[in-house]
Amino acid sequence: MRLAKFGALAVTTVLVVGACSSNGSASGGGGKTIKIGTELPMSGAETANGEPTANGVKLAIKQSNAKSEIPGYTLDINVQDDAVNGAHDPQQGATNMHTLVADTTVMGVVGPFNSSVAQAEIPISNAGGLLQCSPANTNTGLTYPPDSAQYRPTNPSKINYIRTAAPDSIQGPAGADYVYNDLKAKSVYILDDTETFGVGVGDSFAAEFKKDGGTVTKRDSAPKSTTDYTPLFTAAAAAKPDAVYLAGTTPTGMGLALKQGRTVAGFETIPFMGPDGVADLGPGGTTGATITVAGSAAHDVFGTVAGIHDLPSGSTFVADYTAEFGKAPGAYSAAAYACAQVIIAGIKAAVAAGTTDPAAMREAVRAQATAAGNKFDTVVGSISFDKNGDITTPYMSFYKTDLTLAGGKGDWVYVKQQAFTDPNA
Amino acid sequence: MRVLRPAVVVVAALVFAFVVLGIQQFQNFLTLGAIYALVALGYTMVYGIIELINFAHGDVFMVSAFLSMWIISVPLGLADKAIDDPLELIVVLAIVVFVTMVVMGMIGVVIERFAYRPLRHAPRLAPLITAIGVSFILQNIIQAIFSTSPIGVPQIFPRTKLDILGGSIGVLNIFMVVVALVLMVALQLFVSRTRLGRAMRSTAQDREAAELMGVDINQTIAITFFIAAALAGSAGVIQGLYFGSIQYNLGFFAGLKAFTAAVLGGIGNTTGAAIGGFVIAFIEVFAAQIGLARWSEVAVFTVLILVLVFRPSGILGQALGERA
Amino acid sequence: MTSSRARLSSLIRAHRSISVLVGWALVGALLPVIVLLPPFSTFQGQGLWVGGFANSGVFILLALGLNIVVGLAGLLDLGYAAFFAIGSYTYAFGASSFTGLNVPFWPMLLVGAFAAATFGILLGAPTLRLRGDYLAIVTLGFGEIVPAVFLNADTYTRGTNGIGGVAQPALPFLKFDFTNPVPFYVTMVVILAVVMVLVYRLQGSRLGRAWMAVREDELAAASSGVNTVTTKLLAFALGASTAGLAGVFNASKLGIVSPDQFGFAVSFTVLAMVVLGGMGNAWGVAIGAFTLYEIQSVLLKELNQFFQQLQVPFLDTIDFVQYQFLLYGLALVGMMLLRPEGLFPSRRRQRELHDVSEDVADVPPPTAVLGD
Repeated sequence: MRLAKFGALAVTTVLVVGACSSNGSASGGGGKTIKIGTELPMSGAETANGEPTANGVKLAIKQSNAKSEIPGYTLDINVQDDAVNGAHDPQQGATNMHTLVADTTVMGVVGPFNSSVAQAEIPISNAGGLLQCSPANTNTGLTYPPDSAQYRPTNPSKINYIRTAAPDSIQGPAGADYVYNDLKAKSVYILDDTETFGVGVGDSFAAEFKKDGGTVTKRDSAPKSTTDYTPLFTAAAAAKPDAVYLAGTTPTGMGLALKQGRTVAGFETIPFMGPDGVADLGPGGTTGATITVAGSAAHDVFGTVAGIHDLPSGSTFVADYTAEFGKAPGAYSAAAYACAQVIIAGIKAAVAAGTTDPAAMREAVRAQATAAGNKFDTVVGSISFDKNGDITTPYMSFYKTDLTLAGGKGDWVYVKQQAFTDPNA
Repeated sequence: MRVLRPAVVVVAALVFAFVVLGIQQFQNFLTLGAIYALVALGYTMVYGIIELINFAHGDVFMVSAFLSMWIISVPLGLADKAIDDPLELIVVLAIVVFVTMVVMGMIGVVIERFAYRPLRHAPRLAPLITAIGVSFILQNIIQAIFSTSPIGVPQIFPRTKLDILGGSIGVLNIFMVVVALVLMVALQLFVSRTRLGRAMRSTAQDREAAELMGVDINQTIAITFFIAAALAGSAGVIQGLYFGSIQYNLGFFAGLKAFTAAVLGGIGNTTGAAIGGFVIAFIEVFAAQIGLARWSEVAVFTVLILVLVFRPSGILGQALGERA
Repeated sequence: MTSSRARLSSLIRAHRSISVLVGWALVGALLPVIVLLPPFSTFQGQGLWVGGFANSGVFILLALGLNIVVGLAGLLDLGYAAFFAIGSYTYAFGASSFTGLNVPFWPMLLVGAFAAATFGILLGAPTLRLRGDYLAIVTLGFGEIVPAVFLNADTYTRGTNGIGGVAQPALPFLKFDFTNPVPFYVTMVVILAVVMVLVYRLQGSRLGRAWMAVREDELAAASSGVNTVTTKLLAFALGASTAGLAGVFNASKLGIVSPDQFGFAVSFTVLAMVVLGGMGNAWGVAIGAFTLYEIQSVLLKELNQFFQQLQVPFLDTIDFVQYQFLLYGLALVGMMLLRPEGLFPSRRRQRELHDVSEDVADVPPPTAVLGD
């Protein structure tokens, strides 16, 4: 009998919750709604990554609605979170992508943030004919043939995945050249976090550094469960490297490695460099940011961000973002805004051509984004995508830490940016 | 004479480790070993007395690290700066260590009282499952309060180094090893010389007989949990001070490794647990030294499985027959 | 009323296999229809529900397997996700662009189950002499070692990148792709029905009784002629085989296999499902697994929205999705203290765990005891 009462309680709960909740937020003004989906890690240790990126999309939507860019329609957002128990989860990403594909008002998706999640999602969005624009994925296998074909089993000839971030094949070497030429370090110790991104960018860094003429004194892999990096650095100290490259992200341990590494003799003052997983541009005090985790060890740290820094002159993006959200944009907010603009441009063209069927509109958005030669005027400048979905004008921006900023807590400072050529253009 | 042979073995082992690792890595080995030993003692004591693997013990260690961090940052209000005045440093450390140990001890007693005692006569599976549940509860509570990212611990201990034997030895390392040794010796004396210690030993040997002899079983078990958790508490303080960063998932792997250490040394044997802690630390540090860091977890678990299969009584345990 | 109920339950017990198949057919047909009704229709569309059911089926399979090991044979296996990993990677090796092979899904199901069963024996063999607690820790160690090996042996397994481009099942008349969940759903219902029939057959067989004897008192079982070695090994093997099935299915549905899919969280979740559902009771465990999965994937999100919209103070700031493991932990502790036999216990277990004193005269006739 107790079980029956429990069952009755459970059923009642479900009914009440169902009655009182509704899916998605109500759309604003008049007209029909078109949504842009975001698929990013929004909770736990990855909030610092996902939230500013999603905010970029929200700002784009808000500003587009304000000038009624698409007549007869209001834009809205469908936010999905792929973080489970604080870390991005490919299975959750797949589930979210199913949700977005099933939502027929969604015409394009900005995301995901992590390359491993993209591997699970692209087959689904490809099958659903939905465009995905990632502001942050860097793994080369996602776009470079022949590896990328395995992610499009349903519609192999329809590229539906584009990204604004420079791939690892550019980020690693960019870091290597910077360490060798700008930091004047001839030998380097590389530590990766065994994850897809870390290993990939570590490999490309090592290859370029050796080509430049430098030596990799040691290469270690330590999974994110590592709590003690000191023995690794102690062992590496023997070869006396001039610099350290942390091939990974802070959520997977690189911030901790930085903090503990600096306590080992021989590593107290040499420069540490990392890719965009380390250069998260979060000031000290932000939960989970590299500077917060490493504390006083976060001096002389350099990083690359796979995107452009200098927004076209006259851009009000930073001011608008700060006004809207009360803090400075994140490393990928502008890129996410640009992705949203690409999607909006596609929607606009489709609506102008009289398309109303959701499937046809999705296809139009996808085709527009991937058509050769199409240029998009976005907040990061004029961009276009090559036949694989990579941006034709990859940029890398370089930053360094300055612990005197942000009231003594530390922040990242822009150093320079560099344009690269797209090898597949 | 009886003490001499094991002492010689221990010294020989330490010299071997020193030669293989080099002075810098040797310090890491000692520190890590101290932490594992302190946590392993808790596992071995609890198992010895109620034959339960306290799955949540590793997370008790993690909670203590957070507690000590909180004590330093909030009530004591100290910044992330080394304290130069030795007297002030000693006072602060004494407060942090003492308070952490006492509070964690009480938490250990509470956990035992509410999660394990009601199940003392239940089938074997029940308290094991409960322990797993408690482990996850502790992790999530810390997550909820502090977030899932690594949290910095104020580095109040100065990182002064002494230059000896061609390398530099950190004063902090010496301090930690000394603290661990003092606590382990204190534990040994407590267990072998005091009345409560005798009660613990007799309960571990034969609970019913002890009860017949007038030992208050509930109190004895509660005290065991208190001491186990307090030792883990001291390890947590050391962890925070030395590694400078703590995270909610610290307890899972540290706990498993410490448990391996306890098994390796002979479950139920406190000296064995201490030795096991250092052996496991050696394996881990050595793996990092030769560039096989990513296999160190696999190595430790393999050790566990091999010990349990081929010599379940561990290095110092007596043949336990079917029991293990 | 009671007599027809008693007649129905004795009818079911007499024709167990048929009733299981009929039961699953009913469930499989009804579930997609139920979700068309409010409030379920307000949570998400039918397609997403059905896809979710197929995913929950993976966990039901895992729970059924762990139920054999933990519930029937009483061996606490904390590293069960390792067998899930083996099934998944076996299929990935057999049918993906990585190896270039393309073995069809249906025989791979059996291959995956067999591979997992083999590893069940391999990993179970060293534990034969170990008692409950030690067994648990050793299995936990294996649960960590197996994904770590898949991660680190990257020349053979593509390491952290995982193996992508895993093939979907193929039938001449039915297309399995990433948009239509129905073929996957139907496949899963069929697999579950067959597996459950086998589980009940096993439970009622000599082997099943041997498992329960070993669970209760290994020494007594050995003394009465039960070969504890083969009994335990078979428990591991058969328990692992359902995880192998689940692994093959999941790999084909998701399309990629990577080491981070098989962490301790998975083992813990399945254990929670078995404990909450009712250790030893196959249907109970299935219901427990299904309920827990749906709570985790749908209800917690809806709870978040619910409290946020009503703006209930404090409750609207909690992200329930993030704290699901806290809820699981509390549920496990609560269940062990209050109702260790689970929500849907097997009657035998319930009697074991609550009735400490039992008159000899009270022992019911054999027909009512067997098969429970």
